[in-house]
Amino acid sequence: MSVLRTHVVVPGEPLIELNHVARRFTKKLDRGRSLQDLFIRLLGRKRSTVDDFWPLRDLTLTVNPGDCIGVIGPNGSGKSTLLKLITGILPPTFGDVIVRGRVSSLLELGAGFQNDLTGRENIYLNGSIYGLSRAEMDERLEKIIAYADLGDFIDTPVKHYSSGMYVRLGFAVAIHTEPDLLLVDEVLAVGDVSFQNRCMESIYRFRRQGGTLILVSHDLGTIQTLCNRALWIENGLVAAEGNPADVVMTYKQHMAELEEAQNDRPKTVRLGDGERWGTREVEITSVELCDANGQPRTTFVTGEPLTIRLHYHCTQPVEYPVFGFGINHQNGTHIFGPNTKFAELAIDNLSGDGSISYTIPEMPLLEGQYWLSVAAVNDTDTATYDYHDRAYNFRVAYSPLRAGYGMVQLHGDWQVDSKPDTELNNGLNNAPSPTPLTLSPTDTSIRTEA
Amino acid sequence: MTIATEAPHEERPGRSVSIIARLQELFRYRDLLRNLVVSEIKTRYKNSVLGFVWSLLNPLAMMMVFTVVFGVLWPNHQIDNFPIFLLCGLLPWNFFSASVFSSINSVLSNGNLVKKVYFPREILPIAAVLAQLVNFLLALVVLFAALLIVGTNFSPWLWTLPLIILIQTCFSLGIGLVLSTLQVFYRDTQLVMEVVMLAWFFLTPVFYTANQLPETYTIWGYDLPAQRILYILNPMASLINVYRDLLYNGYRTDIDFFIRTTITAFLALSFGYWFFTRYSDRFGEEV
Repeated sequence: MSVLRTHVVVPGEPLIELNHVARRFTKKLDRGRSLQDLFIRLLGRKRSTVDDFWPLRDLTLTVNPGDCIGVIGPNGSGKSTLLKLITGILPPTFGDVIVRGRVSSLLELGAGFQNDLTGRENIYLNGSIYGLSRAEMDERLEKIIAYADLGDFIDTPVKHYSSGMYVRLGFAVAIHTEPDLLLVDEVLAVGDVSFQNRCMESIYRFRRQGGTLILVSHDLGTIQTLCNRALWIENGLVAAEGNPADVVMTYKQHMAELEEAQNDRPKTVRLGDGERWGTREVEITSVELCDANGQPRTTFVTGEPLTIRLHYHCTQPVEYPVFGFGINHQNGTHIFGPNTKFAELAIDNLSGDGSISYTIPEMPLLEGQYWLSVAAVNDTDTATYDYHDRAYNFRVAYSPLRAGYGMVQLHGDWQVDSKPDTELNNGLNNAPSPTPLTLSPTDTSIRTEA
Repeated sequence: MTIATEAPHEERPGRSVSIIARLQELFRYRDLLRNLVVSEIKTRYKNSVLGFVWSLLNPLAMMMVFTVVFGVLWPNHQIDNFPIFLLCGLLPWNFFSASVFSSINSVLSNGNLVKKVYFPREILPIAAVLAQLVNFLLALVVLFAALLIVGTNFSPWLWTLPLIILIQTCFSLGIGLVLSTLQVFYRDTQLVMEVVMLAWFFLTPVFYTANQLPETYTIWGYDLPAQRILYILNPMASLINVYRDLLYNGYRTDIDFFIRTTITAFLALSFGYWFFTRYSDRFGEEV
C-alpha cells in the first residue's frame, strides 16, 4: 500500500486516485489487551482471520477537479470508511491512495472545539485543524461569524452553546475553509430546518463555484440534482458507477427487489369480520397489485404502471354487478375510488370465476403507505355482495422523479412570462424581448422511467 | 455479510512517506500547534480567579514552603542556601515530570479529534510538552528573581541555559512520543509510569547532590562507580547537574555532560519520533 498526500492541487492531475483500495478492521470482542492476550501473541500464535472484516474490499475511484460524486449504498456498505481513507484518518490495508489538495469534511462539525474557549477562539483553533494559517483565518473571521449568526454568544465559551449553535459554528468554519475537496456525510440530519436549508444552499453554492465534492447521502434526490457522478457501494465493492440517474435507478430497483424478497407476508391479507361484509353472491377471492410485467408486488415507484386485479367467484349468477375499489393514504385520506359504473362499463351477466382489472398507466401516488379497499355491489348500490375495507396494503417508494410534495402527482406545465424591469433597462435599448419559457419536467421524467 | 477474503498479496506496512515530507507537513500545521499550546495554557487557568498568575505564584509558594521547612524546621547544614539549591533541581524535574504525564494522555484525550480529522498526530504530544515548557519558563522568571535577591554566583556560562532547556525539551518529547503511543494501545502505561517516575525522582539528585553518594559501591566484590553510573544511566541526573552548575554553583559545567545529554536527547527524540509515526496510522481506529 502507499499513501501520498499533498496540500497542493496539481493542474491536470486528479484530486483523488484510489487504486484497488481495501481496508480491514479487526472486530473487537471486548477482550481488550489483557496479559493473556499479550502472552498468546508473544508465544507466536498467528492472528486469527475469523474476527476480521472488510468494510472496503476493492475500490478504485478517480475524482477530478469540479466533480461532484454522490456515494450511495446501504448502511455498513463502507461509505464512511471510504471517506475516512480519503481524509487520512485511516490508512488503507491494501491499495494506493493519492490525495492532491486540501480536504475538509463536514463529518466532524464541531470536532476539536475546546469547551472552555469562546466561539471566536474556537474558530481559529478549528481553522488550524483544517490546515489554515492564522492570516487565512483572519480574512474569513467576519464571514464565519456572520454565517454562524450566534450574536453575542460568539464570545461565550462553547460549553454554554446549545447543540444547534455548536453545529452551526462548526459548519460555518468548515464551509469557509474553501477546501479543494469537500466531503459531506449526512450532515443535514442536524440542526433545525432553516439551518439545514442554509447548509444545503451553501453546498450548492460551493458546487456552482466549481468546487469538488463527495457526498454521502441516503437522500437520493439530492444526489441526483447535485452530483454529476454517482457511486454505489455494496459490501465494500463498487456495485455501479456513472450517471446519477442511472445508478440511483438501478440502486432503487435493487433495494425494491430486496424488500420484495424479504416480504414474506402473503399478498392477500386474511380478513377479519369487521373488515369484510356482504351477501356473497359475488365473492372477491383475491386482489393483486401488478407491475408492468404483470408480476404481483407490494412496493411501487411513482410514475410506473400499476394494475389492480380483482379475482371473483360467483356463488350464483348476478346481473349488472358493479366492481370498484378505493385507495386511502395511511393517514386516512380517501384519494380515489373508481368503479365500473362511473366508467359506464356495464357487465350484463356474471357467473363462475374470473378477474377484473384496472390499469393506471402512470401511477401518480407519491411516497407513502396506502390502503386498498375493494367492493362488489349491485347496480343500484342497494346490496353489497362483498366488501373488503382497507384490507390490502401497498407502499410507494421514494422516487427522485417526483415533481413535487404531497400525496399525488398532478401533471402540469410551468411557464415563465418575464417582463423586464423598465427602470433597470432604460440604458439598454436592445433589451431582449421576453420569451416565454416552457418547462414540462413531469412528462419527460416519467417517460424515461417507464 | 462477512465474507472471508484472503489477502490478495503480502501485507507490508508501508513507509512510503519520507521523513522530509512528514516534517514539511508538520511545519504546515504550525498554526495548529500554536493554537493547541495556547488553548492548553488558557484552559488550564480558565476558571481560576488569578488565571495565569498561578504560573508565577506556584514556584514562589513552593520556595516559601521550602524556606520554612528546610531553613527553619530542619536546616540543612551540608548544602548552603538549601531552598535555592532545591528549586534549581526541582523546577527542571517538575518540567520533565509534567511533560511526561501530560503527553501520555495527549493522543487519547483528543480521541474525538483523532477519529474525525486528519492532521499530523505528533502535534498532540508536541503541544503538550511545549505547553509545559511555557510553564517552566515562567517559573524560571521567579527563580531568577529569587537568585538575584539571594545573590548567588551566576556562571559565566549562563548563556548556555537556553541550550540545556532545549536539550531537556527534546529528551522529554522523545519519551512523551513513545509513551503517548503506548498509552493508545495499553492503558496500563500511565499506571506503570506513575511508579517509574516516583523511582526516577529519587534516583535523580534533586534533594541531594550526586557528590553525597559514595564514589564507589561494592556489590558482590565488584567496585561500581556509583556516581558515574548515575550520570550515565540517568540523563535527568546529568541535566539537573548542569542546571545546578549554571544557576547555583556558578560553575561552567563539564563539557562531557553537555555532549552526553545532547546525544541522549537526540537519540530519544529520534527513536520517539520513529516509534510514534510507525504506529500513528492506527490511532484513528484505536482511540
